[in-house]
Formats: sequence, C-alpha cells, structure tokens
Amino acid sequence: MFDIVDSVLERALALGVREVEVYAERSTSRRIKVFGQEVEQLTAAQRRGVGVRVFADGAVGHAYGSDLSDAGLDEIVRRAADHAAVSDADEFAALPEPGGEPADVHPFDERLAATTDAQRIELALALESAALAADPRIKTVEDAMYVDGDGEVFIASSAGVRGSYRANQCYAFAYVLAEQDGQVETGYSYAVGRALEDLDAEACGREAAERACRLLGATKCPSMKAPVVLDPFVAAAFFGVLSSALTADAVQKGRSLFAGREGHQVAGELLQLDDDGTLPDGLDSAPFDGEGTPCRRTPLIGGGVLQGFLYDTYTARKAGRGSTGNGLRGSYSGLPGVQPTNLVVSGPVTPLADIVAGIDHGVLVTDAVGVHSGANPISGEFSVGIAGVLIEGGRLTRPVHEVTLAGDIISMLTNIRALGDDARWVPGGSILTPSVVIDGMAIGGT
Amino acid sequence: MDLASFDSGLLQATIARALGRGGDFAEVYVEDRESLGLRLEDGRIEQTSGGREVGAAVRLLSGERTYYAFSDALDEAGLTAAADAVAAAVRAGDGGSAVVELGAVRSELGRHPVRVPPDTVAISRKAALVRAGDEAARAAGAEIVQATVGYGDTRQRVLIANSLGELVFDDRTRTRFTAQVVARRGDIIQTGHETVGGSAGFELVDEATACAVAGSAAEKARIMLDSRPAPVGAMPVVMANGFGGTLFHEACGHGLEADAISKGASIYAGKMGKIVAAANVSAYDDGSLTNGWGSQAFDDEGVPTQKTLVIDQGRLTGYLYDRLRARQMGAAPTGNGRRQSFRHVPIPRMTTTYIAPGDADAADIIAATPRGFYAKSLAGGQVEPASGSFVFGVAEGYLIEGGRLTTPLRGATLIGNGIDILMKIDMIAGDFDVKTGVCGKDGQGVPVGTGQATLRIAEMTVGGTG
Repeated sequence: MFDIVDSVLERALALGVREVEVYAERSTSRRIKVFGQEVEQLTAAQRRGVGVRVFADGAVGHAYGSDLSDAGLDEIVRRAADHAAVSDADEFAALPEPGGEPADVHPFDERLAATTDAQRIELALALESAALAADPRIKTVEDAMYVDGDGEVFIASSAGVRGSYRANQCYAFAYVLAEQDGQVETGYSYAVGRALEDLDAEACGREAAERACRLLGATKCPSMKAPVVLDPFVAAAFFGVLSSALTADAVQKGRSLFAGREGHQVAGELLQLDDDGTLPDGLDSAPFDGEGTPCRRTPLIGGGVLQGFLYDTYTARKAGRGSTGNGLRGSYSGLPGVQPTNLVVSGPVTPLADIVAGIDHGVLVTDAVGVHSGANPISGEFSVGIAGVLIEGGRLTRPVHEVTLAGDIISMLTNIRALGDDARWVPGGSILTPSVVIDGMAIGGT
Repeated sequence: MDLASFDSGLLQATIARALGRGGDFAEVYVEDRESLGLRLEDGRIEQTSGGREVGAAVRLLSGERTYYAFSDALDEAGLTAAADAVAAAVRAGDGGSAVVELGAVRSELGRHPVRVPPDTVAISRKAALVRAGDEAARAAGAEIVQATVGYGDTRQRVLIANSLGELVFDDRTRTRFTAQVVARRGDIIQTGHETVGGSAGFELVDEATACAVAGSAAEKARIMLDSRPAPVGAMPVVMANGFGGTLFHEACGHGLEADAISKGASIYAGKMGKIVAAANVSAYDDGSLTNGWGSQAFDDEGVPTQKTLVIDQGRLTGYLYDRLRARQMGAAPTGNGRRQSFRHVPIPRMTTTYIAPGDADAADIIAATPRGFYAKSLAGGQVEPASGSFVFGVAEGYLIEGGRLTTPLRGATLIGNGIDILMKIDMIAGDFDVKTGVCGKDGQGVPVGTGQATLRIAEMTVGGTG
C-alpha cells in the first residue's frame, strides 16, 4: 500500500499542504462463536483505509476514508486541509520527526497466517466442551469464541518518517453460566497468543467453569474494612483504568491524579509498573507506534515511586522531551493518542496459597463489574460491584456477591502489600499482572 | 456514489451467490457513513477529524447459524468476495430457500425530520458552538480548571436487501453536543458531564443550547467539590428524571434483549406474562420516537422501528427481537436488530427505553423520604443479564435528610438485582425526560436513549467510602 500512501502525500503537497502524514492499514480477521457444539457465527472481515493528518502552522486537521479511488483520495486530502483550517494553532503541534531505528519486534507468526477455518472451529468446539464438562452445574456456555486478526500498517510523512510492519494475534474467550438452587453465577476466561497452538482451549474452558462454580451459593457479606486479593483479571481492570492517569496527556490537561508526583512514593514499595511495547509475547508489541516512533520500555512506577509518564510526539514537545512511542491509533480512522502498549506489573512475589494463609479476614475478588464506569481516573475515586470468596482464618471459605469495593486509587496503590506468583496476560488492554493484595479496603455489604 | 440508486441487479446477484451452496436467508447491507467531530480541550480546538467510510456486509443464515463477511470495497469484486466467503462457510445442502425477486425500494425519509442538514453548515459555525460551550463552562467560576467540549454529526445512508425480496433505503442524520468539566479545590478534583443529542440536524444545537449543556456540566462538577464520601448500606434511593433511566436500561433492558432470552441467559427468560415489577411500573422501548437519539425509521435489518410495551403495570409483556431471534422463538421482529456498522453482525439492541411517567410530584417523593440517597446523575453502569446483577456509578448524588436534599455525596455506586429493584419502585413522578448515551454490547456501540421520571426505590444498596 506504499503506492497509495505516496500518492496521498503527493496530492497533499500539490494542494499546498507542507506538513502531512499518511497512515494506511489493511487487515483481515476471523471470529467464530460456537453454541451447542455447532458454529453459531462465523465472521470473515476485510478492512483497508487511509488516514491523513495535516499540520498547518500548528493547527491539526485529520480525515480518513475507505474509498481509495483517485476521487476518494482527493476528498480525504481536501477534508484534512479543511479541518486544519478550523482547529486552533498550538506551538507544540507539528509533524513527528523520524525517531531512529524501529524496535526489534516481530509481532507476526507465520503459523497463525496458515490457520484454516476448520482448525479455528475445532478449537472453539473444544473450548465449549471443556467448559461444559468441567462441572455438572454449568448450565450454558453463553460465549465460546475464537478470534484472530492479521493486519499490516504503513506510515509515511513529508518529514521523512516511513515504515511498515505486519502483526497478528489470536485469542479464545469463554463465558459460562453456572446454576444451583435457582441461583445463577457467571465466570469467564481468556487464552491469548500469536498462534492457534499457543491457546490451551481445555484449560480456558475449565477455568471459566471453575470461576462461575466457585461463586455458587454466594451471599452478601457484612460491610467491613479488610484486605482484599484482586485476582489477575480484576487487577488488570484496575491497572487499565489507572493507566490513563499515567499519560502525559492527562497530566498536561489537569486530569491526572499523578500530576506533580514524579519522584514521590505513590504505591507500595514492592510495586514495579512498566509500559513495554517490545515484549515478544505482548499482544500490543510493535516496531513503532502510530506516529512512526520506535516502541520501547518505559518505567512508570519503580519501588513504589512514580518514575514518569507516557508521551506521544505532541505531549513530549510540550514537556520538552522525547516521545516514548505511545502515540497509538485504534485504526486508520482514528487520530494517534497517548495510550499504553503492554502494561507489566512486577515485583517480589509470594505464593498465592501463602498469601491467603496470611489473611485472617478478607476477600479474594474474582469478578468486578463497573470498573470502567465506577472508577473515576480523574479524581481517583472508585466504587465497583464485586464477587469472590471470603477468606477467614487463612482459608477460603464461602462465596460472596453483590457487594461493593470502594476507595481511591492512590490509597489503594499505597496499600499494596504483596503480589502473587500467578502473573498472566489479560487482553483488552494487554496487561501482564499477578494477583495483587491490598490492605484496608472498604467493602459494602449488609 | 449514491446508495439510493445502487445497482439492485448486483444486490440480487450477491444474494443468490451467497445462497449458492445452502442457507435459508441472505442479506446484503451497504453503508455509506460520513462523520465529523470537533473536540475542544484546554481552551483550544485540538482535533477536527472526519471522513467517509463505505462498505458492505453479506449475511447468510442457516438454521441457527450465522455467516457474515464484510469488505470496504463496494464494487462487484468486493460483494462477490463477501458472498463467496459466507457460501464457503455454510454446510453444503443446509437449508435451501427460493430467492425472491427484490421489490421496489422502501423508505420513510423525513420520518425523523432534519431541518438543517449538518453538511450544509460551515465547520466554522460548529467550531463557534464548541468555543461558546467552553466559555460558558469557564464562566461558572475559578474552580473550573478544565473543559472538554465536543460536537459531532454523522450522516449514515444504508441500503438493505434480502432474500425475502425486501429492499430498504434509510438516510439517518445524528447530531450531538457534549461537555465534560473538571473542577478543582485544593486536592479535591470532581467532574461533571452533560450531553444533548438526537436523530436530527444542526437545528438541535444553537449557542444557547451549547452554553446550557456546558454550564450544567460545570455546575455538577462545582457542586461535587462540596461533597462528602457517600455512606455504605441499604437505604431508599430516589432516582432523578432523565439520567436515572440508566437504571432501567441496565437493570431490565439488557435482560429483555432476545439473544439473552433465547440462550436462557436472562432472569426474564420464561417470565412472559409474569409479574416482574411493581404494579405502578409500565415500560417501553421506542425506536420510532420522533427525532430520538436512539431512533431511526428502520432498524439495521430493514425492519420498521416501533414502540414496544415491555412491562404493563408490572407484568412482562414483550422482548426485543432481531430477525434471527424472532425466527428462532416464533415471534415477530420488533425493529431492534441493530449494528454499529457494516463491520458488525446485527443483534437485538435497545433504542430508547424508558419507564412510563406516573402521577406523583418529584418534590413530594423527596419530601416523603425521611432519610435516603438521591441519585441526580449517573456515570454509567454494567449488568450481567444472566444473574440480573447490575452496578452503576453515581456522578451526582445527595443525601436526603428529613425529606430534603442536604449534602452532596461522591464516590457512590448503586448495586442491585433487576427484578428485585423493579419490584421495589414505590413512587413515580410525572417529570419524564430522556437522555442520550452510547450503549456497548459485544464490542458494538450504538446510540440509545434512556428515560424516566423521578422515581423512588424503597431500598437499594449504596456502596461508598464514608
């Protein structure tokens, strides 16, 4: 598609636009859902399009389109120029300069590209069977799904940025309902990888079933202030919300609770949090970001101390520093924005069994609803609905549900006192995290 | 390209090709969508973005199975490739149905009147509205530290043809204006949000409206600076009109969508005709509400939208169907088959869902509550339809003491279970209002309206930090 990218550059320059960046994408994907050991849905997708960003003396205009004919490309360029004319100028807004060698990342696996629909269907069927077979109380497997994607991106600009890469990934997802005595509980699990062979459908289906069944018989528990253990799925949801406050965009716009706290203790001393766009097994790893800047590892929190923020070209210029390669695009129709690549939570770990044994009274949280709506990344306050298992006298005792967990992000981070030995990748943000133990959380029940 | 005069021979050929090896229903969905968005933050319009995406999807149904392929190429090659992809996936010999010749194009243009088509208005005028909103927000006081003001309009034209011989053209314009405002006092940061939107044109937002929306968002943020942490526990909850409708959307609406019903993954499955709410509660889903943000003349399967009574005086009377689930369950489609774009499979979705107003007075409801929680504005929520458990955040809440609103409360979450909460609605006022939102489900966002009058839930769990 470099021919199209170059053609758009030429059209823009011919129109008198001096600073222009063209981003093009073509991709295919497959999504297979099975139900009752039959294929319920198969989706085959093809996508391609172009996005154009124009800078006119610091004013930004963006336009996109999927019509790649001469007339279509002309229209995209014209719209981008029109849009720049109404945006306000900003001294820090300008075309990204070439940022050096792309990261040595190869997010493409030939094995996945060679996968057939028959293999995909077989995996989804195995996932559903495993979930159903795991426990007689599994009433239905509402979602047994396999998804993969294969995309190629191209970028070029009048400043000399030029690059392309191809990436693919796949995941399986199971969401099940368990029923006992008229009570229904739900559970889910994911498996992620870069080849079908990486996905353990059996384990994924079984885990979803176990997560639902362990909640059967759940009741509300009394309100209390107690330690909680957030399992990796729940911890990932919290770190996902938190990460938006670790972008320079949020800091510069007064929307981050971490503003002005660089070099300060913001979390328990054992916590290390990094953004790393170069990890071989990270789903969001890439040679460069949506502006052509090489991806890298950026420490965010080390030893509990806030070490820095994530930057794209614009926020980096404003801060008088370089981009961290976090100007990401969702698709050709979107503008680059500051976002994490892969988030990695690490630090000294403790076996999960020892963690539970050390808690006299607390909750193992295995599900949280409303993290994205109930957590305010600006004020840092959150209040979410949770379900899980009560910990009493160092042992997991009875399940609880329909209770709330509330607090604020900074106190929560500060009160992190242990990390489990169960780190795993959670998609939907690409986060690698173990279970996280937090002291003194407010649990609202009866 | 003009969708209204698209080659119906090509559509007919694509449908026949899709059904070539098997299957019992085929459909082509052609979409042409133009969008424009302006976003102001930090006092400047930092992003003006827009474009046009065209594409087509071919869907093949065979019994309970769905095969779906799409492409951004609207030419014969693109449609042929999509038809071949679904035909290759179907089990050969399955189904088998005659293809009915496409009839004349049906449309109901003007059903949701657009007085000022947004594409006839200079972008600079839209920019002026956004700037006016920013000024109005900042005029609310020195404690306002940030305002994000957005304007967006879309024009979506769709052409839907199927093997039943139906051919529908729809032309949809939507306009929306939003404001999010941040207020700060010392270490306390609070936010306020307000929005207006509709299936209407540029007439929806003039300068006065823009200023009112932004001013209201600023006021919410400012009030919440004085807030105390919300208490924890069960108490009476009064939900304000408008935004309070999210309650019904989450607590009940998702559970009425027929995909959840057909899989038994809803607490409302098997309860048709049964009591699921207090006797004073009637509720509707109305995709035909004139100029409603969640409205359109036809759904995304070419079925006319309608007003569906889902709860009649406490009794469950209706589910929300798309074609596939209507077929599976032997019901008639209700015009709720919606999709985000040609890249998404249609599924049952709400349009504008609301609890019908009652005859109480909103002030009397508060006065009749000695101690409780008043939820004026909700931040959004989530539900597990299978268990009926839902949770949502409260953006603006107050303590009710002695029948009066007293302290603003922050950080509150409301949590409960669908039928349980609907059964506990004991008072409904007449001050009906509808708010706009974007509802996410299965990775698809669609515009929806949520509405209600002020109402009281006798007891509900509030989760806070105080």
